[in-house]
Amino acid sequence: MKIILELYGASREFSEKDYLKFNLKEKSSINDLRNEIFSFIDKNFKGNNNFKKLVKSSKFCSEENNIVADNYKITKDQKIGIIPPIGGG
Amino acid sequence: MLHAKVVDVSKEKIDLAKAQKFIASSKCGASIYFVGTVRDQNDNKKVTGITYDSHDALVIKSFEEIYKEAETKFKFTNIAVFIEHIKGHAALGDASIIIAVACKHRAQAYEFSRYIIEEIKKRTPIWKKEHYEGEDSKWLKGNPLVDQNQLK
Repeated sequence: MKIILELYGASREFSEKDYLKFNLKEKSSINDLRNEIFSFIDKNFKGNNNFKKLVKSSKFCSEENNIVADNYKITKDQKIGIIPPIGGG
Repeated sequence: MLHAKVVDVSKEKIDLAKAQKFIASSKCGASIYFVGTVRDQNDNKKVTGITYDSHDALVIKSFEEIYKEAETKFKFTNIAVFIEHIKGHAALGDASIIIAVACKHRAQAYEFSRYIIEEIKKRTPIWKKEHYEGEDSKWLKGNPLVDQNQLK
């Protein structure tokens, strides 16, 4: 499955674009996606620990604009937003 | 009655006059305007501006949820609420958020307005990148998003 990970807040440091692309196996979960992002950080940012901490403390948002749990199964190609710790207002 | 919007400051301005117009009603005897602005210092560093990032759809969803929850919690009648938050770059003194609330009585307006801003701080997906003197800049640490469904 093709996943476009939309970047927000501090996760924008992961790319000059607004998104990252991942290829996941069928019926992968958010947890699997998180592991793919860790691999991406290992490969492209020498395992940057701050980036990994950011991913660990982030939630994820489905294409339907719902915050989804780590065991949520991704069943189709879609956009998923990474939601790092927030702080507006 | 709610107006909720994310204002992209590269295209338009956040405007207190719009808030005033939206909440105006002869049924209400009290209006509160909360305006968040960019201040010049944070953590002993001189701030020169802030860039705000937003997940627009989730922001609007959270504004609507917060408003509905406040309605259920306080059970006030004849309320008008205007919430706008910016995205993009804001200079010192610029407004980042306007929350305008009109209610029958002043205590209600204060209570409703305070509830909205405190909940926005906890769960609305907006991020700040502070810019400092010397062209340094940093995304603020923030707080992990609280998933309201997991709290229920």
